[in-house]
Amino acid sequence: MHAIKVEKLEKKFGDFRALDGLDLDIRKGEVYGLLGPNGAGKTTAIKVLTGLLKMTAGNAEVLGTRLPNKDITQRVGYMPQETALYLGLTVHQNLEFFGKLFGMDKSKILEREAELLKFIDLERWKDEMVTNLSGGMKHRVSLACALIHEPEVLFLDEPTVGVDPELRESFWKFFGNLKEKGITILITTHYMDEASHCDRIGFMRTGKLIAEGQPQAILREAGTKSLEDAFLFFARRGK
Amino acid sequence: MNFKRALAVSRRVFMDLKNDKRTLALIIIAPLFAMAIFGLAFSGQISDVKVIVVNDDMGMNTTIGQVYLSEVVISNLDPDTLSITTMDDLPSAISEIESGNAYAVFYFPANFTNITILAYNQMTEASTSVGIHIDMSNVNVADTIMQTFNDAVQKTMQERGLEMPVSIQKEAVYGANASFMDFFVPGIMAFVVYILTTLLTLINFVGERTSGTLARLTATPLRESEIVAGYAMTFSVVGTLQALLLLTVGMLVFGVNVEGNVALAFMVVALLAIVCQALGILLSSITHREAQAIQLIPFIIMPGFLLSGVFWPLEALPTWLRPFSYLVPPSYAIDACRSVMLRGWGLDMIWIDVVALIVFAAVFLFLATLSLKRRG
Repeated sequence: MHAIKVEKLEKKFGDFRALDGLDLDIRKGEVYGLLGPNGAGKTTAIKVLTGLLKMTAGNAEVLGTRLPNKDITQRVGYMPQETALYLGLTVHQNLEFFGKLFGMDKSKILEREAELLKFIDLERWKDEMVTNLSGGMKHRVSLACALIHEPEVLFLDEPTVGVDPELRESFWKFFGNLKEKGITILITTHYMDEASHCDRIGFMRTGKLIAEGQPQAILREAGTKSLEDAFLFFARRGK
Repeated sequence: MNFKRALAVSRRVFMDLKNDKRTLALIIIAPLFAMAIFGLAFSGQISDVKVIVVNDDMGMNTTIGQVYLSEVVISNLDPDTLSITTMDDLPSAISEIESGNAYAVFYFPANFTNITILAYNQMTEASTSVGIHIDMSNVNVADTIMQTFNDAVQKTMQERGLEMPVSIQKEAVYGANASFMDFFVPGIMAFVVYILTTLLTLINFVGERTSGTLARLTATPLRESEIVAGYAMTFSVVGTLQALLLLTVGMLVFGVNVEGNVALAFMVVALLAIVCQALGILLSSITHREAQAIQLIPFIIMPGFLLSGVFWPLEALPTWLRPFSYLVPPSYAIDACRSVMLRGWGLDMIWIDVVALIVFAAVFLFLATLSLKRRG
């Protein structure tokens, strides 16, 4: 069963093709990593899939619903690249606000908030203004906001940029836990080493995939030791 | 549109304003500051203008003794408005104006009393005049000087029983006892709400765009119309509270009188706030950073300042410019608030203003929603 299915997706900004025939087929419960250099189209892909951008051509489905479709947002979580939190509100107020947007009632929000705060280890900071938190803490709150409504699909746009190695490690542990709960995760990153945590990865370059598969399989195919070298291998072959 | 989600947005904006002590202070202090500064500065009273009197009047010998009409005119000059000094010769008095030490010189010629009385009794064809040498570089001050002098001449004539062939009787239809502040507070109420609401929404919303929260909102079930409605709810309440605060302080400190139904005036202010928050959201769509938003501030303030009639009557504008005041939403709110609070008018009289504001609100809310719906 597909969670995300994308066919020949195109997105043009003027004459520039940010997405140029992207194909994706992500199964339910899969952790899928989109890898590639800056400007490869990773963020654009996520923005189209979350309804932030209109596609120019092609087809995209999330949980069997053809995009664009506002109703599907109820089942989807999105963590943008920016912190994207209300800095003037407390951690609790942020979570409560996003919970309400998904139509959750107060008791459900509180219950879910307690779970998430434990999950991201910020229970003590519940009533702290977000602006007073460290960068890493903000990232964790941002993740919690994306998860408040128990989404079935989670889009994470560069969640580990500017995050220290220790926190990155714990982030991947979170993502592992989420996967165990059956949540599908599409994650973008340009840290190649992180990709080994994914079930499958896709290398993106100039708006399309240049290789796709399990990390080990990709390494085997490229005959390289690191994913970074593998990317370079496929990039050169693509030319 | 889902009301609960709009309410969640409204609450969120409220909390943001409440948690930010500086913004909260701005919302509370700025209106009072504006009222105090503008109210005191524009209170219309020009006072202590330096003028010099050079009096060569020889007077006239009459049955009741030597009469000096010039002295009477001088004593009738309003001592609050003018600060009068006397000098002996005209050239040195004029040089005082030239050196910027005085605004005007009143010169009474030697035959002033003589000719005036003879002419009044039709005993001579000759006439006399008072020479006023005046620095016209400050129009307001110059006008005040001329007005004060005219008043003194008229008062003198009345005292002497010299009847004018035409008398003027003023009967106030509205605002019989209105002071400048009575006139000013209804206007500043609407004006402050216009400025602050537009700016606060603009800044707040540019924040939503740059911080990425707007993107996050877009990926939730929240609809664009619910965002706009949420902001509208918050700012209409904030605007009304500001008006309430202004009016309370105006009444307690400046003794402002209110003729009509204050609730109606508050409704107008709330309506204006809805227009302005939509304008703020709309303007935020053409800015990408806070710095660009700041560049827009003069374009928000200046038209409101000049074209809304808050400080200068619209009649003071050149005729070709007047139609532009119809494009400035606070014009209607200011007019309506004044009519309600000074003339005691009801909805039956101010409905045109209210309809204009409703039309503005409808158009701006629609455009603001549209601007949010626009996707790259």
